[in-house]
Parts: sequence; structure tokens; C-alpha cells
Amino acid sequence: MSEPATLEVRGLRASVEGKEILRGIDLVVRQGEVHALMGPNGSGKSTLANVIMGRPGYEVTEGRILFKGEDITDLSPDERARRGLFLAMQYPVEVPGVSVVNFLRTAYRAVKGEEISALAFRKLLKERMALLGVDDAMVNRYVNQGFSGGEKKRNEILQLAVLEPEIAILDETDSGLDIDSLKQVATGIAQLVGPNLGVLLVTHYQRILNYITPDHVHVMMQGRIVRSGGKELAHELETKGYEELRRELGLEEQVGATT
Amino acid sequence: MTIATTTFDEEALGRLPAAPPFVEALRKQAFTEFLALPIPSQDTEEWRYTDLSGLELTFTPFAAGVRAENLDGVDEAILRAAGSVGERAGLQIQHNSEVAVSHLDPALAAKGVIFTDLDVAAREHPELVEPHLHALVPTSRTKFTALHGAFRTGGTFLYVPDGVVVEAPLQTLVWLDADGAAVFPHTLIVVGEDAEVTFIDRYASPDLERALSDAVVEIHTGPASRVRYVSIQEWGSGVIHLGVQRARLARDVDLRSVAVGFGASLARVESESVLAEPGASSEMLGVFFADGRQHFDHRTEQDHVAPACHSDLLYKGALRDESRAVYSGWVHVRPGARKTDAMQTSRNIVLSDRAKADAIPNLEIENNDVRCGHAASVGPVEEETLFYLQSRGIPRDEAERLIVFGFFQEVLDRIPVEEVREGVAEAIERELSR
Repeated sequence: MSEPATLEVRGLRASVEGKEILRGIDLVVRQGEVHALMGPNGSGKSTLANVIMGRPGYEVTEGRILFKGEDITDLSPDERARRGLFLAMQYPVEVPGVSVVNFLRTAYRAVKGEEISALAFRKLLKERMALLGVDDAMVNRYVNQGFSGGEKKRNEILQLAVLEPEIAILDETDSGLDIDSLKQVATGIAQLVGPNLGVLLVTHYQRILNYITPDHVHVMMQGRIVRSGGKELAHELETKGYEELRRELGLEEQVGATT
Repeated sequence: MTIATTTFDEEALGRLPAAPPFVEALRKQAFTEFLALPIPSQDTEEWRYTDLSGLELTFTPFAAGVRAENLDGVDEAILRAAGSVGERAGLQIQHNSEVAVSHLDPALAAKGVIFTDLDVAAREHPELVEPHLHALVPTSRTKFTALHGAFRTGGTFLYVPDGVVVEAPLQTLVWLDADGAAVFPHTLIVVGEDAEVTFIDRYASPDLERALSDAVVEIHTGPASRVRYVSIQEWGSGVIHLGVQRARLARDVDLRSVAVGFGASLARVESESVLAEPGASSEMLGVFFADGRQHFDHRTEQDHVAPACHSDLLYKGALRDESRAVYSGWVHVRPGARKTDAMQTSRNIVLSDRAKADAIPNLEIENNDVRCGHAASVGPVEEETLFYLQSRGIPRDEAERLIVFGFFQEVLDRIPVEEVREGVAEAIERELSR
């Protein structure tokens, strides 16, 4: 195998509507690694996830994002995706009138840069669906339209499984799920984790880490990564809570921050 | 004030192919109306969105077509324009001002179905044509319907006797390739009691310098009949299309219509359903896609005269470049139309800053025991949705196409006949890939 794909975030500062949310982020995620990015609401985790994918409305004011050694800071989201990045959204969007199958096949062709017959694609899709326990009915429905919270998140993971990115950012894929849905989604992700996939798992809670063991854990507060460590850091946080860590680090509580 | 010259004069009228006496009388009367009526002014409510004040009525009144013995004798390009719709019970092709060929499944002819050139029908079946021709759309309605009444040649007559069910769709293509010409497509449909039929009107041409399509569609329905009417307007640029479509729904009629508008430089189409007897149901779907400097003016009317009728309208349009589209719809509930259930929805996607769409719903309700609603929206493709698709590697322009196709899918999902659905989907794809 060639050198693992690497996502590098260097000294990144970013603003939303003129308000600075990210205040200097440094982070390296390699293919094959699982990084958990944790932090309280409003710490900037989701902003980081979206900035890495190039979401419009998020302005990079300083620093760069590199992927496979190339600067992607100014690339469009679709170019980033075609280079092997993926973002599972916290709030997946409805696309009326476009079936999951059609959507996925279009995305597959775009990402892989190759044609695939409807039949061959169905076969590939079936395999991935079986892996994740997704039923037929879901893929024939219109993307996210009328989906339950669990179905929306499973659909995100199905897309991840089909598009086979090298680095995937999972933005609070565990939020808004009941225990059963969480288990299903989390075991799905666990199946995909391996040497070919690097994951940046953005989460507020420790519970998803019962299914997916991170190699690295980072804690974000007030737009900065304030602590990094191994998986034990997640357990430490669970016992302590973010509040105590904040005090330890001597950070002031912020009012009115957004994610 | 200058008197504009026109090619539509007495001499031109005299040169038209001879017609049966009742048609000649209609022509004469319509011509008088044409001379008397003004070009509709933007000062009137009905025409406020379309400016025809500068229109010179100097089109060739009659343009010959190439007649064919059968469908094999029709030009390849024309057959292609008819669309790759699957099985058809009949196909008629009008080339410019003349019907070139007309084909009907002999089994249906044996059951009494008539599908032919309106001029032929007027000669052979005057008892069926005379009471219905211009009964729903009087020639005196506007200067253009009067012009139509005076100069129409060709057209389609479809008659389905009581109780006869026509399974496969019938279609007429009007093909125009005579630059500078005026054509007057006329579709006259008469459906008997408890009969069933699907009919597709298709208008197509290459891009032209200048041409006029002045069209009339009249749909007469017998009690409890099921009628599906589809029109697909794919005129080339340069064509001005002015259409009036009016259907009268008898007791328990189920009428489903689809209007697809893609072509022409300027298209103004009025579509009207009159729910004249109890228990009738009218569905009106519309799909349009405007680009370049196209101007679309769609007006609809759901006229509830009788009690306990249902009508549902959904028009969806997309606009690109510097195009302009106006949708204005009326729901009328007359005093006696209690238990009316009427809905009207207009949705527009605007894909360019220079394009402009308006949606103007109007309700006029004169009975309290009704359920009526309307909804309208005009806006760009949501950035959220675009980002979602782009984050999956789909380039922005392709993402936009996919979203717009999905937007139209809601209408496609409601088209009951598969051949028709596929035909419309094909037309949308063609438009999107331009």
C-alpha cells in the first residue's frame, strides 16, 4: 500500500458571519486512525468538521487545510470529496424527488470517476446494505424525506460505505439517537473502520466510543484543542465532565458561543 | 395612430382550402371579430404580464405541409419529435397548416372511435363537430381566438363513444418548419359517457426566426368518463405560442391534465377546468422550464360551478438565465358549489439572479361550505441541499440538475400513464442537459 492519506489542519482560524469560532486548530488524521473530537456544545467541533469539508458561509481567516500533502483550503466541497474526504452530516438534508439509489449512484460516479451500470451498482449497494443492515425500502425512498432520525444517520453511513473515502469526518452521528439506533449506527461504523479509513469522530458524548475505540482523543473548548490523549482521555472526561476540565485548564466559561 | 398592416386579410381568408358551410360561417364570423377586437392590452388584468402591443400580425396565414400515405412516409426528424413514447393507439402528424398523416388502431375505429384531421371530421361527421367546435372557447374571446377561428386549418378531432375504453395513448404532433408562418393547432376532444382515453398533444419545431402558434384545446366530457390530457410544448425559439385550453367536466368525470412547457420565445397559456356537474374531479399538473430570454405566462382556472367537486392543481417551474415566468391561478367557487374541495399550488425554482418568477394565486369563494387552499413559492435551489450533494463529490452544476429533476419528480410521480410519464421525464432531461 502507498503512503496513508493524511488530513492536516494547520493553525486554522475560521469565522461564521464575522464571528470567530475556530481560534487556531492543529490536527493530523491519518488513514487507518480513529480520532475522537470531543467537547461541550459551542466549542466549535461542528464548525471544524464543516470547514474541513468547505461548507459555504464558513470563512477561513488564517491557516491551511492539507490533504495528501496538497492545500485544499480553497477547493469546492465536491473537489474535496473527489479527493477522498467525506463528511457525515449532523443534520442530513432532504432531497425531494431524488431516490437514495439515484443519489448514491450519481455520487459514486463522481467520486470514482467511472461509469457503473445500474445493475452493477445495485449489486455493490446490496453488499453494503447487508453489511450495515439497511433494508431495500429505504434506498428506494427519496433522500432523507420522511426518514426517522436513525434512518437519516444510517443513510449517512451507507453513503460512507459506498463512496469509500480515505478520511471521513462524522459530525455528531450519534446525536438524537435512541439506544437501539445508536447501537446499529455505531456497529455499522465499526465495520468500516480499518486500515483504509481514517475517521474524525465528532461527538459530545462518550457513549459511541463503547462501539468504536479511538486511537486518539482530542478535547475542544472555545475554538481550540485544549487537550489530546489516548482513549483513556475519553473515560477521564466521562467521570470528570467538561466543567471540571475547564476549571483545571483555567478557562473562563463562555456565553453565547455556537457550534 | 398608424393602422398596422396584416397578412390576415379577406384575400388570405379566401385562399384557405374550402370547408363545410358551418365552418365557412364560423370563419366569416370570427374574421369580423378579429377585425373588431384589439390586441389585448397590458392594461387589462388578464394580459398584464405579457406585452404584445408591438406584435405585427404579418405571418404567413397558410403554410403547406408534406402529406404522407402512412407513418413510414414521414420525415425522420418529425417522427423523432413525436417522441419515443411506447405503444400508441393512434398518431396524427400535422405539418405546418396541414395534417400530414393520421393513424388509428383499426380495432378502435371498429368500436366507433374517431381520430382524424379536424377538417376531415367536419366534413364526415358534422353532427359531432358542429355542436362542439368553439363551444368552450368562443372565437370572440380575444383577438387571437378570433384569428384562430378565422384561419384555422388542420387540427385534431378525437371522439370516443359511450362506454369505450382506449387503453394506449393517442397522440398528435404539430410540427412547424415554415419560418414566418402562423399555425392554428386545434384539439377537439369529445368523450362519451363512461368512456376512457389518454391523449397527448405535442408541439415541436426547429429554432425559427419568427412564427406564431395560436392554439385552442377543447375537451368535452361525458358523465363518469376518465380523460387524461397531456400537452408538451417544445417549440423552437422564435415561436410565439398563445394557447387556450378549456375542459367542461360532466357528472363524476375524472379529468387529469398535464401541461409541459419548455419551448417558444414567448408562451402564454390559459388552462381552464369547469366543474359543471356534481362529483367531478379535475387534476391539473404543470411543468415548465424557462431559459435564455424566454417569457412564460401561465394562467389557470378551476371553476367550481356544481357542488361536491374536487380540483387539485400543482404547477412547478424552473427558470434559468434571463427568463421570466408568471403563474397566476384562479379558484372560483360559485354560489351553488357547496362541498367544493379545491387546492392550488405553484412552486418555482429560480436558478439565476437575472431570471424572475412570480406566482399569484387567487381565490374567489361564494359558498361557505367548502375546503379551499393555495400555496405558492419562488426561490433558488437551497444552498444547504447543494452543499449536501457537493460534499458527496457531485459537481455543483450536476447537483443543481439533480435537485431540479427531483423537484419535477413530484409531478412525474402523479402522472398515471407510464408512457406519458417517461415522455415527460425524457423532455425534462433533454431540457436539463442543454
